[in-house]
Amino acid sequence: MTDTQQQAAPQNALTVRNLNFFYGQHHALHDVNIDFPARKVTAMIGPSGCGKSTLLRVFNRMYDLYPGQRAEGDVTFDGRNILENGIDLNIMRARIGMVFQKPTPFPMSIYDNIAFGVRLHERLTRAQMDERVQDVLTRVALWGEVRDRLHAPASGLSGGQQQRLCIARSIATRPEVLLLDEPTSALDPISTARIEELLDELKEEFTIVIVTHNMQQAARCADQVAFFYMGRLVEVDTADRIFTNPRQQQTQDYITGRFG
Amino acid sequence: MSDITSKPDGWAPNPRAARRRRFDMLATLFGMAASGILVLVLASILWTLLSNGLAGLSVAALVKPMGAPGSGGGLANAIIGSLIQTCIGLLIATPLGLGCGIYLAEYGSKLNRFASCVRFISDVLMSVPSILVGLFVYQVLVAPFGHFSGLAGSVALAILAVPIIVRTTEDMLRLVPVAMREAGAALGAPRWRVTVFLCLRAAKTGVTTGILLALARVSGETAPLLFTSLGNQNWSLSLDKPMASLPVTIYQYAGASYDDWVQLAWAGALLVTLGVLAINIAVRISARRG
Repeated sequence: MTDTQQQAAPQNALTVRNLNFFYGQHHALHDVNIDFPARKVTAMIGPSGCGKSTLLRVFNRMYDLYPGQRAEGDVTFDGRNILENGIDLNIMRARIGMVFQKPTPFPMSIYDNIAFGVRLHERLTRAQMDERVQDVLTRVALWGEVRDRLHAPASGLSGGQQQRLCIARSIATRPEVLLLDEPTSALDPISTARIEELLDELKEEFTIVIVTHNMQQAARCADQVAFFYMGRLVEVDTADRIFTNPRQQQTQDYITGRFG
Repeated sequence: MSDITSKPDGWAPNPRAARRRRFDMLATLFGMAASGILVLVLASILWTLLSNGLAGLSVAALVKPMGAPGSGGGLANAIIGSLIQTCIGLLIATPLGLGCGIYLAEYGSKLNRFASCVRFISDVLMSVPSILVGLFVYQVLVAPFGHFSGLAGSVALAILAVPIIVRTTEDMLRLVPVAMREAGAALGAPRWRVTVFLCLRAAKTGVTTGILLALARVSGETAPLLFTSLGNQNWSLSLDKPMASLPVTIYQYAGASYDDWVQLAWAGALLVTLGVLAINIAVRISARRG
């Protein structure tokens, strides 16, 4: 225990040690060890079914919603193993936010989409809430587009706007880590570019973990890249190193498009 | 005869395509004929109701209580009785049906034995003959107390409404994408909040529609009321006394040998039909809004 705590030095927001994951009988992740440096963007790449999304969903214990899925090992966040039983999932999820592949606006106004998560964890006055909403919408570059219709249903926004709203919603609870599961795969290139720009700004404040199928995206946004294959972490290194001079042949083959 | 390498004429008539076209036309005709017959039946019912019922539908029929043949009675107590019993029935059925539907959709996975049982029983209950429901309530709420009552009628209607609400609530909640539940959980929302404020809200229109459909279904029921609220010739708003209702009144009056009673039965039938029609239009409007 003390060993993992020492490894979770302040420069790493998340430290994963000997992580195994099971979907019922299926062993989906094998002995994964990886660190996620604080306030950096880490991209997880690999072919479909390699376990990258599974790993992402371990970090906020999304798998807890489904019986039969379980994780074993250590994921240290702020000095504690979040896989332990005693962890308050709701508090943990407010500190480790997640954005999904498809935009999922809640069936309520733009304003309430953001206020929903904040109200779960904080008691704010009306004025403070207004300020919070404006602040996060400004940060995702949506404020100018929606300031006049904050109380209109969020479903009226375009796909790209909805996804930025979902990011705003996640950062509104002031998490330390932001998990993104292929956040741009349902979006057009312009919306994608805006979200990538956004990641660059957000990493000054948050530790970002992004799962992506798009290698250019990983190269553009990430400081660190982790390559997964068949449920194992093959290689993790700086983005430069992975894309120019990877150590493993498998990584080389994948990034040059020879398989996957 | 062309040899095997020569190109076939691409524009040659194709007998199989022609056969399919003929079959397609026949099937279309059959579908249109079936729809036409159904619409005709409905139109004929409405026409009969209107032509026979409008004559009896006067202000007096709406405001005067029932009376002896030839005394100029109306339907007022039956109308009020029906409204009271369906409203109370729905007040009982809605929380039960919603709760059960939510349980089945959110907590009762297909693997859960108890939930499967509840789902099956609810579906069976939906097709139980309504007269059996009446007899059941008679045994439970009428016989032990020694008298018929409006409350027993309401309970019988509630039992008929519950399975409809359960089914629509479960179906509508299952249409809410899993992503919505995950997104709620990912913000740190406890499960009940996700269910009530996200899922139920997203399914609001469908769930409301289900409740209205249940209302439409039970508002014309006669059989479950025969042994429970019985009917009452006099003004009575008391729930522990026998209570009049439109369907039971129609049943009693339509077979009577007094012309004014038969006339009132037609008027009552028209009223019930218009009520159900109004509910169905409300369903349409609420579905379109969502």
